[in-house]
Amino acid sequence: MKTLSVGKKGFLPSEAIEAEIDIDVKPIMNVLIILIPFLVSVAVYTNLAVIDMSLPPNVTAAAGAGPANQKPRLKITVLVAQTYCAITLGETLLDSIPRAGDEYPYDTLAARLLVRRAGADVKDEVIVAPRDRIHFRYVVRIMDACKKTGFEKVSLASATENPEGGR
Amino acid sequence: MNIHKKKFSGSGGITDIIKPQMTSLIDILTLLLVFLIQSFNAEGTLVTPSSDLELPLSSSKKQPGPSMMIEITRDAVVAEGKQLAANASFATSSDLLVQNVYSWLGQQKGRIAATAEPRQIIIQCDREIEFNIVKRVMYTCSKAGFTDFSVLVIEE
Repeated sequence: MKTLSVGKKGFLPSEAIEAEIDIDVKPIMNVLIILIPFLVSVAVYTNLAVIDMSLPPNVTAAAGAGPANQKPRLKITVLVAQTYCAITLGETLLDSIPRAGDEYPYDTLAARLLVRRAGADVKDEVIVAPRDRIHFRYVVRIMDACKKTGFEKVSLASATENPEGGR
Repeated sequence: MNIHKKKFSGSGGITDIIKPQMTSLIDILTLLLVFLIQSFNAEGTLVTPSSDLELPLSSSKKQPGPSMMIEITRDAVVAEGKQLAANASFATSSDLLVQNVYSWLGQQKGRIAATAEPRQIIIQCDREIEFNIVKRVMYTCSKAGFTDFSVLVIEE
């Protein structure tokens, strides 16, 4: 096998280029064959992340601890039901967004939250309140939508299945 | 490049020298190498997800740190490889407090008090689990004095 040695056989450089030059690829192949199994073993194919959340502060405890005339500030709440999600402030329903097929319309929810956040007293905190039968992946998606809107703190609460029943 | 080259041997016979085409192979290996170097994570992973569950997808970028971990798989609530409660038991119970989880957290609280470990819990939860179960686990954690939670997700 010829190697890339220009001076061999008395060729001038220009003549050597014209002649068939075989580069010895064995060393690079050896390096690649050692390197690739190592990199395959340490490669990360799924990146893990976390979403921070907390429980909503106990309103009665907070009211008891603070001054008697100080009202607890209302926070925007996203209620997640099987067929819709709703944005509420206290007991006032601000928006109701129906579920579209298998997923909730997260972009629409984020857009509505952005509007509602602008007019809210508490702009950094939102409460997500899913009902019992809601799958956790939807809860995570809605928390994502809230974070995207600019709410730094997301609290997770539980929505009552039957508001009329008082539970 | 010819795959077979004829070479005249000293005795006048013809010997075939097989020369495989290496260029395309090296191209593939080089591309593979670049891809694998991109996937290489020098920091390592501090959190290992349980094999019994499928984590939900999220756009969150925050990296998990070392914390206590509770896993909610499709069948049970698990901590440190030990099953604390079966998910089926929640259907019949109206009590939000999960007694075994509460006892385990009590033990951990004592251990954490002696170290500088943060009082934060990472919840690994299967994506198809109903919120009813997550709610019970979170309630139990808060009763045991752990109020800061993180949910482990797969970054999109």
